[in-house]
Amino acid sequence: MTSNRPSLPTPGSTGSDLSSSTSSNNSDNNQIPNLHSLQNSSSQLSIKSNSWRASVNFGSKGVSVADSEGFSISRREINEDDARLVYVNDPLKTNETFEFCGNSIRTGKYSVFTFLPRNLFEQFHRVAYMYFLIIAILNQLPQLAVFGRGASILPLASVLFVTAVKDAYEDWRRHKADKIENNRLSSVLVNDQFQHKRSKDIQVGEIVKVSADETIPCDIVVLCTSDPTGVAYVQTINLDGESNLKTRYAKQETLSRVPGKDVISGLIKCEKPNRNIYGFQANMEVDGKRVSLGPSNIILRGCVIKNTDWAVGVAVYAGRETKAMLNNSGAPSKRSRLETHMNREIILLSFFLVTLCIIVSACAGFWLRRHQDELDIMPFYRRKDYSKEQVENYNYYGLGMEIFFSFLMSVIVFQIMIPISLYISMELVRVGQAYFMIRDDKMFDAASNTRFQCRALNINEDLGQIKYVFSDKTGTLTENKMEFQFASISGVDYSGEKIEFYGEQGGYNIQVDGQVWRPKMKVQVDSKLLKLSKTRNDTKSSKEIYDFFLALAACNTIVPIVVNTSNPNEKLIDYQGESPDEQALVYAAAAYGFMLIERTSGHIVIDIQGERQRFNVLGMHEFDSDRKRMSVILGYPDSTVKVFVKGADTTMFKVIDESLNLSVVKSTENHLHSYSSIGLRTLVVGMRALSIAEFDTWQTSYEIASTALMGRAGLLRKVAVNIENNLSLLGASAIEDRLQKGVPEAIESLRKAGIKVWVLTGDKQETAISIGYSSKLLTSKMMQIIINNNSKMSCKKSLEDALVTSRKLINVTRASEDDASSVALIIDGTSLVYILDSELEEQLFELASKCAVVLCCRVAPLQKAGIVALIKNRTDDMTLAIGDGANDVSMIQMADVGVGISGQEGRQAVMASDFAMGQFRFLVPLMLVHGHWNYQRMAYMILYNFYRNALFVFILFWYVLYTGFTLTTSITEWSSVLYSVIYTAIPTIVVGILDKDLSRKSLMTYPQLYGSGQRKESYNAKLFWVTMVDTLWQSVVVFFIPLLAFWESDIDSSSLGDLWTLAVVFIVNIHLAMDVIRWTWISHASIWGSIIATCICVIIIDAIPALPGYWAIFNLASSGLFWICLLGILIASMIPRFIVKMFMQHCKPCDRQIAREAEKFQNAMEITRNGEIEMNLPHR
Amino acid sequence: MMNSNPSTPMNAHAPSSSSGGAGSPDSNAPRRNSKRPKYSRFTQQELPACKPILTPKWVISAFMLVTIVFIPIGLTSLLASRDVVEIIDRYDNACVQGSKSQKVQHIQSQTTNKTCVRSLTVTKRMKQPIYVYYQLDNFYQNHRRYVKSRSDNQLRNLGDENDTSSCKPENDANGMSIVPCGLVAWSLFNDTYSFSTSNNSQLAINKRHISWKSDRDEKFGSDVFPKNFQNSSFIGGGRLNESLPLNEQEDLIVWMRTAALPTFRKLYGKIEVDIEAGETINVVLENRYNTYSFSGKKKLVLSTTSWLGGKNNFIGIAYLAVGGLCFLLATTFTIIYLVKPRHLGDPNYLSWNRNPGGH
Repeated sequence: MTSNRPSLPTPGSTGSDLSSSTSSNNSDNNQIPNLHSLQNSSSQLSIKSNSWRASVNFGSKGVSVADSEGFSISRREINEDDARLVYVNDPLKTNETFEFCGNSIRTGKYSVFTFLPRNLFEQFHRVAYMYFLIIAILNQLPQLAVFGRGASILPLASVLFVTAVKDAYEDWRRHKADKIENNRLSSVLVNDQFQHKRSKDIQVGEIVKVSADETIPCDIVVLCTSDPTGVAYVQTINLDGESNLKTRYAKQETLSRVPGKDVISGLIKCEKPNRNIYGFQANMEVDGKRVSLGPSNIILRGCVIKNTDWAVGVAVYAGRETKAMLNNSGAPSKRSRLETHMNREIILLSFFLVTLCIIVSACAGFWLRRHQDELDIMPFYRRKDYSKEQVENYNYYGLGMEIFFSFLMSVIVFQIMIPISLYISMELVRVGQAYFMIRDDKMFDAASNTRFQCRALNINEDLGQIKYVFSDKTGTLTENKMEFQFASISGVDYSGEKIEFYGEQGGYNIQVDGQVWRPKMKVQVDSKLLKLSKTRNDTKSSKEIYDFFLALAACNTIVPIVVNTSNPNEKLIDYQGESPDEQALVYAAAAYGFMLIERTSGHIVIDIQGERQRFNVLGMHEFDSDRKRMSVILGYPDSTVKVFVKGADTTMFKVIDESLNLSVVKSTENHLHSYSSIGLRTLVVGMRALSIAEFDTWQTSYEIASTALMGRAGLLRKVAVNIENNLSLLGASAIEDRLQKGVPEAIESLRKAGIKVWVLTGDKQETAISIGYSSKLLTSKMMQIIINNNSKMSCKKSLEDALVTSRKLINVTRASEDDASSVALIIDGTSLVYILDSELEEQLFELASKCAVVLCCRVAPLQKAGIVALIKNRTDDMTLAIGDGANDVSMIQMADVGVGISGQEGRQAVMASDFAMGQFRFLVPLMLVHGHWNYQRMAYMILYNFYRNALFVFILFWYVLYTGFTLTTSITEWSSVLYSVIYTAIPTIVVGILDKDLSRKSLMTYPQLYGSGQRKESYNAKLFWVTMVDTLWQSVVVFFIPLLAFWESDIDSSSLGDLWTLAVVFIVNIHLAMDVIRWTWISHASIWGSIIATCICVIIIDAIPALPGYWAIFNLASSGLFWICLLGILIASMIPRFIVKMFMQHCKPCDRQIAREAEKFQNAMEITRNGEIEMNLPHR
Repeated sequence: MMNSNPSTPMNAHAPSSSSGGAGSPDSNAPRRNSKRPKYSRFTQQELPACKPILTPKWVISAFMLVTIVFIPIGLTSLLASRDVVEIIDRYDNACVQGSKSQKVQHIQSQTTNKTCVRSLTVTKRMKQPIYVYYQLDNFYQNHRRYVKSRSDNQLRNLGDENDTSSCKPENDANGMSIVPCGLVAWSLFNDTYSFSTSNNSQLAINKRHISWKSDRDEKFGSDVFPKNFQNSSFIGGGRLNESLPLNEQEDLIVWMRTAALPTFRKLYGKIEVDIEAGETINVVLENRYNTYSFSGKKKLVLSTTSWLGGKNNFIGIAYLAVGGLCFLLATTFTIIYLVKPRHLGDPNYLSWNRNPGGH
C-alpha cells in the first residue's frame, strides 16, 4: 500500500490479458492499513510455499495460480459451515458446542506418562536408529547371537538415553514457560465487571481488557480503546520481530461503548483458525448492522499494546488456535549437497557390506558341504546328539538355513561398514561449526547489533560450494535507509546546494505549549526550495510547492509518535511506518515546514510553517502492486475535497492529465530520468480537486466497496481507479538508498572466487544499472545486452539476437585472449513473464550462463524464485539467494542456501532463511572463509569415517576367512563396540570442527581458493575410491603382518586380537594426524588422548578375569615381536598414502597447497608481487 | 554524486548520540547491551597452532629415518630367526598306517597299542631351554561354536559350578554339571611325549609353568576340581586328574587359551638341557588324539627361542623390504627434487596465475 518501493510489478500490470483474471484474486486482502501489502501477499506465499513449489510455475500463470491458492481462504465468503461464531460477551453460548479450545497453551511435547513412548517413537524416526535397532534385535536371536546382550544394546541405549535426557530437559523448560504463560493474570469482563482471571481460563467470546505495555493473552477483535477514534498501537515484535508500531482500529459501531458501562453484544462470524498472521476475514453483527472486519481489527496473541492506555476486545481465537501458536514451527529443513552425495556413497558401502556377507555365507556353505561327512563328529555341529539317551539333532539347521544364518550373522559383525555414527558426528560437527560462525566477530554488525544467525543446522558445508549468488538490491546491496535527495516540482528541478542541519538548533521545529518539537531524523534541504516553501503567497509556484509538500506529508500511512528526550523542553517526533520511502518523504516534508503531528483514522494534523491545520481523511486507497500507487482523499478545513496520489512513474503518467501542462510533464520526465540514472528511487505525485458531485459518487461506491464481503479488494481497486485520473502533476521526488558498506569490494571478491552474482530487483532499470555500476557489478568494458520486451514474439527474437551477439563476442574474446570484456545481461520483469515457464527458458538459460553479470529489474517476488529455479533445475551448481524483504522470501526458500539480511524491512526474510546476518559484505567471510572451511572439514570427515569403519570391517572380514567362515572375531566384542564410540570418535569430530586448511587471511587474499569447493575437490567419487583402495591396503597390512609373524606360533586369539585392535586404532588415529593441517593443543589432546584412552580400555578389558582374554595384553606387551609388528604395521600401512601425498604435493600441487606453503613461509615480497599480478590481469 | 557524501546518516549521528540523543535508534542502544561476540582466540579460531608442511627435506629425511631404523631391525630379526633351531616332525600318518577309516578306527579303539616311536636328528646345537610344542593343522580352535563353548566363571569359582549354559552340548552328563564344561575342555589334547637321547639317557621334560602365571593365579580356581569330566559316551580327548585343582592342570590351562589360527602350536613342556648337534632324539609318544576324522595334522616341534620368539623369517624380510623401499623412495624423491625443483609457496604456481586465459 504505502510503500512506494516500486518493487512489485506483477505481470498483470503489463500483461493486460492476464490482469483481469489475476488482479481480482491476488489483492483481495489489501484491506490492511499499515501492513505492507507486499508482505501480506508474500507471507501467504511463504506459508503456502509448498503449494507453489509443487506447481513449478513461475511465470505469470504461476503468480495467478499461487496467489489464488494463497488467498482462497480469505476470499471465500464465510459460509455458515466454515465460520466460527463468536457471541460477544457470551462465552457460554459461544462455547456451547465445546468446539473451541481454551486459552491454555501447551508447547511441551510430553507429559510424564507419554514421555517414554513418544520420545522413543520420535527418536526412531531416524533411519540410523532403526538400523541400530534391527541389528540389535537380530543379535538377540539365539542362533545369531554374535555379541553378548550388553555389548549389542549398549551403544543404541546410550545414544537414546542421552537424547532422551536432552529432550526431557528441553521439555521441562517448555512446561515451566507454559505454566508462567498460562497463569498470567488478565482482566476479563465477568458480570459486567472487569475481574482478574488467569490467562488459561479465558474463553472464546469473553471480553478482555488490556492495558498499556501488556501482552495480549489471545487473539482479540478490538471493540474500543482509550483513544476516542478507536486506534490502538501495537508492537508485534514477538510475532514477526518488527519493532515499529502498527495501528489497529476498533469499528465505529463499537468504539463508543465502554464495557462495564454499556452493554455490548453481537455476533462475530470469522474464519476458522489459520496460520496467516497478516490476514483475517470476518464480519460482526451489532445492533442488526453488519460490519466487516479485517486484519486491522484484530490484535494477535503475543503483541504488546503501546501508546494506548487500554484496549478492549473480544476473544476470537484462544490457546493453540491463536495465530501465534499456529505459526510455531521452525524453518524448513534442507539437506546439504555433500550429504546427498554422501548418501550415494553409503549405498555403495552397503553394497560392499552385502558383498562381504555373501562371500562369507557362500564360503560357509562350501565349507559345510566339504565337511558334510565330518559334521556328525564335529561336536559343535553334531547332527546327532549322543549325549542323550535318544539320539537327536543338534545345532544343525540344514545347509540352506546355515548359509542364511551366516549371512545374518555377518551383517551383524560387519554392521559398522555403514557408518551410522557418522550421522551423529556430523550433527555435532555442524553444531560446532555454527558455534564458530555465530561467534565470528567479523560477521557481527555493530550498527544493528546483530550477530550472525545459523537457522538451519544442516547445510553449513553448502556454503563452500556456491556457484551462483542471487541478490536482492534494496536493503541487501543498499542500506534501505532512505534519504530524500531531490525534488522536481512543476517541472523545476531542485537539486542544488544543500544545507545540512546537524546539531542542536538546526532543522525545522515547532513550538507546542512552550516545548520544542522537532523531527527525529534530520534531512538535508535545498536552500532555494526551503526559501520558496517558507514564502506564502498566491503565486502559482508557491501554491504548487505547498500542494507538493502537503501531498508528501499527507499521502501516506505514517504515524507520528511524540517521544520525550532528556531535555524536558524538547520532544522528538518519530515517524513510524512500514515503508522507509514514506518515512523519508514525511521527514523531508517536515524539514520544509510541513510537519505531520497527528494521525488518526479520521483526520490528520499538519503543522504548516508554524500553523496547525487539520484535514479530514475521507478515504484512503492503499498501495497495491497493480496500480503501484496510493491515494488519499483529504477534506480541507474550508470543506473543499482533494485527492492526492503518489506512485511509480510508469503508472502515474497514465493517470496524469497531460493536456494541463505538457511542458511540465516533459521536463518532469527528464528529471525523473536523470534521477534514476544516478541510482535514485523516484516517485511521482499528483493531485486533483474533487467536485461535490464527484465526491458523493465516490463516497457511495467507497462505502459499498469497503463493506462488501465478496471481492472487497477488487471493488476497492475499481473505486480507486475511478478517482485516480485526470490528475494534475505536482512533481516528483528522488530518494537515495545508499550502497551498504563494502558492497563493491564484496562483489569483487565473490566474482574473483568464481561466483556469479545476479541482482534481482524490483527497481527500475536505470536505477538497477546505476547501482550495478556503483557496486562494480557492471564495468564500462562490459557489453550490455538489454532485453525489454512486451510480447512473447519479440522476447524470442531479442533472445535469439542476444545469443548470436554473445557467441560472437565470446569467440572474439577467445581469439584475442582478452578476458576483460564480457557480457552483461539486463532483463526486466515484463520480458520474464513471457520467458519463464515457456520454451524460451532454455534460451534464456543458455544466454545467462554466457554472461558474467545478470541484472533483472522490475521482477515480482515469484519471478525471483523462478529465476533461481531456472539455474537450479538446469545445472548441478549450488545457488545462494540473499535478501532482506518479504519479497525475497520465495527466492530464499527456492535457493539451495537462503541468506536473510536482518535489515529495515521486517523479519520475514530472516524467518525464511537458513542463515541471517546484518550486512551484505558478510557474505564474503561467510562463504569464502567459513563456507570453505566447513566444506573441507565436512568432506574430509565423511571420507575419513568411511575409511575408519571400512578398515575395521575389512580386518574382521580377513579373520573370518581363517575361522571356517563362522564369524568369530578375535577382537573382543567390547572393543568392537567401543571402536567407533571411544577409540576413534573424538579426533574426527575435533578435526571436523577446528581444523583449518588455510588461514582466514589467505582465503580472503585469494578468493580463487574458493573454487576448490565448487569443483568438489575434497569429496568426489574418485576420492572415495582412492580412499577405499587405501583402506584395503591398510587392512591387508594390519591383518597380515601379525598373521604371518605369528603363523605357526602358540599365540592365542585374544592376544592376536589385542594386537589387531591396537594396530587399527593407532593407524586410524595416525592417519588422521597425518592429514591434520593445523595442530592446536586441542587436536593434540584429542588424537593422542584417543590412543591413550584405547590403551587404557584394552588394559581394563584384559584385566577382567571372567573374559577369555584375561591378561593377554600384558603377556603380549612383554614380547618384542609385538612391538616390532606394531611399528612395521604403522609404517607399512602409511607408505602408499604418504607417497601419493608427496608426489601430488610436489609435482601437481593444488592451489590450496601452494597457498598453505605461502602462508607458512610467509614472504611479504611475494604477496605484493602477486598483488600486482592480480591488478594487471584485466589489462592483458 | 552518490558517493559525494560517504558517511551514512547513522554514522554521522553516532558520535553525537550520547549528548543529543537524536540519533537513530541503533546508535541510541546502550553499548553495554552489545551482542558483539566476546573476543577470544578460541572463538575466532585463532588458537596458536603448528602447521607442519611436508617439505622435500622433511620427506627425504623421514624416508631415510625409516630406512635407518628398519634395515638394522630387519637384519637382526633375520639373524635371530636363523639362530633358532627348530625340529618339526609330523607323526600322525607315520604312527598309523592305512586308510582314513582304518586310522579312525585305530585311534578310537580302546584296546589298540597307540605307542609310537620317532627319532629326530639334531642338526645344530640346541641351547636350553628347548621348548616342546605340539602343532595341530586344520584344527579350527577359533570356530565360533567352539570358542563360545566354555564357562569362564565355572573355571574360576566353585560356586559357579552350574553356570554351564554356554557349554552346550558338553554342559552336563548323566544329569550333573561337567567341570570343566564345554567343547574346549572336552577336546583336550592328550598325546604324550617322552624323550631320550641316542645314548638312552632320558631327557627330562619340565611341564611346570608352561601356562601363563595370570591364568594359574586368577583364571583357574585353586578350589575347583574336575568333576564328571569325559563321562559321557562321546569322549573328545584327554582326561583330568580329579584330585588336582584346575589351576594345577597346566595342560588344560594351555589348551583353554584358544588358538588364534587354524594352524597352531601349544607348549607341551621344556627340556632344560642343551642338545649337541648330530645327536638323535628318540621320542616315545602315545598317539591318542584323534585328528584323523577331520584330516588334521599332528606335529611335534622342538624349538629353541630367540628374543623374537620362534623361527620366523617373515618379520625380518618385511622390515628389510620396507626399509629398502624407503631408501628407494628417498633416492627417487631426491632425484625428482633435483631435476624438477619447486619453490615452495610461490604464488606463480597458483592455477589462476599459471594459466590466465590460455597463456
